[in-house]
Amino acid sequence: MARYFFDSGDRDTVLKDEVGIECDGIENARREAMQGLIDLTREALEDLNGQQLFIEIRDEHGEKLARFSLSLHTQLRDQEASDLR
Amino acid sequence: MGSTKLTGEGKRQITSFFVPGDIPDLHGMHLSVLDCTFSSLTRATLGFMRHDAMQAVCDQHASIATVLWRSTLIDAAIYREWVTNLGRRDAYAGMAHILCELIVRLQSMGLIEDHVAELPITQTALADALGLSTVHVNRVLQELRRDGLIITDGSRFHAVDWGELVRAGDFDATYLHQRTAKTL
Repeated sequence: MARYFFDSGDRDTVLKDEVGIECDGIENARREAMQGLIDLTREALEDLNGQQLFIEIRDEHGEKLARFSLSLHTQLRDQEASDLR
Repeated sequence: MGSTKLTGEGKRQITSFFVPGDIPDLHGMHLSVLDCTFSSLTRATLGFMRHDAMQAVCDQHASIATVLWRSTLIDAAIYREWVTNLGRRDAYAGMAHILCELIVRLQSMGLIEDHVAELPITQTALADALGLSTVHVNRVLQELRRDGLIITDGSRFHAVDWGELVRAGDFDATYLHQRTAKTL
């Protein structure tokens, strides 16, 4: 078991994990991060074109190991039509 | 202590917490088959009493039977609150709510003072109680700290801004039906 840290946020605010979570290896930590991103999306996703949400995994030495992010792209119908013109 | 259920996929849901002084399995007196699992989430000292002995006490003293009945009714009220937590409160409110509940319950047992609770419970257990991922629980605890509602030191939780934690958790202690709760 090792302690991994999961920083999360969007483009504007990053919440730094100061406690960490014990995980059984990086594969396990990745699964946790993915589940965390699903929860974060459910709670924090807004109708905001270009909004990006992410979770980043760090190890105990502060080294970044992985980043999971997703972003929202919204396009309104009439806007789409005017883009085509 | 916690009562827990496992889904077919093996995912754990903690359905309630029990603090020192609680009788977790009171319904077992009248329901012969256990429909959930009770497990200790921290170091715990347990006392056991035979159902027939309990029944004899209740038969002899109606007032004791009433108190025990009342206790199971409060357990049911706690479940209703948890259903609301899981179904309709966001993670931040749900976490604040669960912390408020534990603090009030421990305080009413005279086990803690000044909203400082020793809760040697893992983030994973909190996640299983709130139906969230461990990473999200970790994030929400971080948010509660950032917002100045709690300070944590290892397993010690200090609700530094009790009023704000209560507001954040949409917490109304009425469902715990404890006299001392009002004085908090």
